[in-house]
Amino acid sequence: MRELAGKLLRMDRRVIFILIALATLIPLLRPIGFPIRISPEVKRVYDYIESLPPGSVFLLSLDFDPASKPELYPMAVALLNHAFKRDLRVIGMTLWVTGTGMAEKVVSGIANEYGKRRGVDYTFLGYSPGGTNVIINMGQDLAAAFPTDHYGERTADLPVMRGVTSLRQVNYVVSLAAGTPGVESWYVYGKEKYGFELGGGVTAVIAPGLYPFLDTGQINGLIGGLRGAAEYETLVGLKGKAVAGMDAQSATHFVIIGLIVLCNLFYFLTPRIGLRTLPGTRSGSSESR
Amino acid sequence: MTLFLRRTFPLILTFLFGVAGALQYYIPHPVSEAALTEVSVWLRIILGFAMILGIASLCHVHYAKIRIRSAGWGYSLVVYLSMLATVAVGVWSRGQEEGTGFGWIYTYTLLALQGTMFAMLGFFVASAAFRAFRARSKEAAVLLTAAILMMFGRVPLGEYLAPVAGPIAGWLLNVLNTAARRGILIGISLGGIATSIKIIFGIERSYLGGRD
Amino acid sequence: MATSVLIGAWVAAGLTLCMFSFLYKDNPFFRFGEHLYVGISMGYTIVRIYYDVMVKSLYAPVTQEGKWWFLIAAVLGLLVLTRFIPKISWLSRISFAVIVGFGSGVAIPRIISSNILQQVQGTLRPLLGNNGQSLFGMAQLNALLILTGVVTVLVYFFFSIEHKGPIRGMARIGIYFLMINFGAGFGYTVMARMSLLIGRFDDLILFGSREYGYASLVLLGMISFGLFMWERGRTRTEPPPD
Repeated sequence: MRELAGKLLRMDRRVIFILIALATLIPLLRPIGFPIRISPEVKRVYDYIESLPPGSVFLLSLDFDPASKPELYPMAVALLNHAFKRDLRVIGMTLWVTGTGMAEKVVSGIANEYGKRRGVDYTFLGYSPGGTNVIINMGQDLAAAFPTDHYGERTADLPVMRGVTSLRQVNYVVSLAAGTPGVESWYVYGKEKYGFELGGGVTAVIAPGLYPFLDTGQINGLIGGLRGAAEYETLVGLKGKAVAGMDAQSATHFVIIGLIVLCNLFYFLTPRIGLRTLPGTRSGSSESR
Repeated sequence: MTLFLRRTFPLILTFLFGVAGALQYYIPHPVSEAALTEVSVWLRIILGFAMILGIASLCHVHYAKIRIRSAGWGYSLVVYLSMLATVAVGVWSRGQEEGTGFGWIYTYTLLALQGTMFAMLGFFVASAAFRAFRARSKEAAVLLTAAILMMFGRVPLGEYLAPVAGPIAGWLLNVLNTAARRGILIGISLGGIATSIKIIFGIERSYLGGRD
Repeated sequence: MATSVLIGAWVAAGLTLCMFSFLYKDNPFFRFGEHLYVGISMGYTIVRIYYDVMVKSLYAPVTQEGKWWFLIAAVLGLLVLTRFIPKISWLSRISFAVIVGFGSGVAIPRIISSNILQQVQGTLRPLLGNNGQSLFGMAQLNALLILTGVVTVLVYFFFSIEHKGPIRGMARIGIYFLMINFGAGFGYTVMARMSLLIGRFDDLILFGSREYGYASLVLLGMISFGLFMWERGRTRTEPPPD
């Protein structure tokens, strides 16, 4: 027992890497498709978009870069599908410079699928530096923040922007964020003064930090991580990348839970056999110091 | 005079812009609103230039490596060549990405490289969980239990095996997690406000850099 | 399939595998990918700054709309760059004073309102049983828990008084709330990192299909062979450790 536990605790970390790789690969190749429960915070974003009459202005700020693409890109796809299906006027933008290409691609790509015309039914404003300053600037005068859209057309002249001079005329803003500037910035520097309704779609890392804002109603809904994206895909009836990834997500979580349980099992079993001070293990080395 | 320009004048500017920025919120007069619009445009332009500062210092680091031929200088050459190639293709494509070479570079290189760089953390999180995530104390046991409940309850397989896991994870997030995060948020915000006030009144000056 | 897409798939798969090769150990494939990433992201940012700031926000408003006063902002922007010239680097302080001063001023009232007042209001209001709810329901129990958590966490972070007696007890409760928060944070971090991994593997599976000429599989073989040769070369040139 002592030898086995010692060997396992000292095993090459690359064995764990292989375990994780297999837990990711196998479900992606042979999916099972467990049912996905919809959480109330995701449903609230969906319901709000459902409640908007056609022609309402929906601003999607894609505040992330390629590092968070697997989590937030499927959210953008699902939200844009929903918005275009509901015939909303869609304005896309980003506050993250290296997210520009990705954001433009998803907005124009989904718009094309629905036969929407650029400048008339949707536009992509592009990137502007300054983070919170851009939000203030848009709240004061949208055309001053983005004199032209990403394609060089004058923003004020675009049919999709008719009646929209600042954030005050936007019906719903959703920030898909991987950090700062993101949802919190949109609330503190935007909604707080300009009064639009705000929803959030965020990476799982920052999702727990936004629950205080959800609780107070400062954001009306929250889509968290790949799981949240899968819930939204389910709501709009789309079998996208997020739903496809849920089995792999389950498998990897269970492998990690298993590793933690195993690690603690050894930790609690070992006092009797003195394994806690085995050289080479984390506790062994720390206690010997 | 020089000392005034070097030290006192920036502090006066900070004070004036700081007080004006704070007061503007409480005075929604058309003049103050117009001023806010104008200043926020200016700041976007200045911050655009500030981004060049970051890029320039990275270039400087790699240039120094190439100049003295330090270990791995060839990789610094890769940085320069790839940067120049991207700029050249970007200007050739007039900054547009749809169907251009610039878009190709973005989609097939930057997306893959940055995405993988962060995806690798998944492996290290798993390894760290196995080696260091132990219930050494009561506090650590609470942390560990919350983490396991969250990992179990927020995936479809967990909810399939134990349907109550989802609502429990949801309750943890919406109540206990919210309580702690709110405490942290209020604490950080109070700290942030104190720092802002110190900056406006010239007590905190580290952002100015330099000695005098 | 367009040739550019096919070539792109091979490049993306190759670079993804170069980066993943770090899982074996630090090696030239990873180093190459890492530096390529730095170079390309710098180049990409330069292009975006040029078109989105210099052209869109500066050149066009000045030349087409006659907003000449934007040039003052441009001068302030140029002053930022004097940081590189030691003799006149103090000039950059003028720009930083404007950025930091205005940023601090603008933040104060907004943070007080949204992160403090509304959060305090959100903590207390549900306890009062508004909207005709019962005063002793599950919602009130949750509200009471949130109030307890907020107060005890703040007490834990309040270092101006010594933590002993009832203060120590409250701080201890605060620690447990924090631990639950960190646990939830860890669980969600695992979720995030695994999602990123799923995303990259998803692309590798796609590029490993017949349609893409089995790019992922072929390149995996090539990089593995490259690593083997690199390892062999190293063992020949480096003396064995004592």
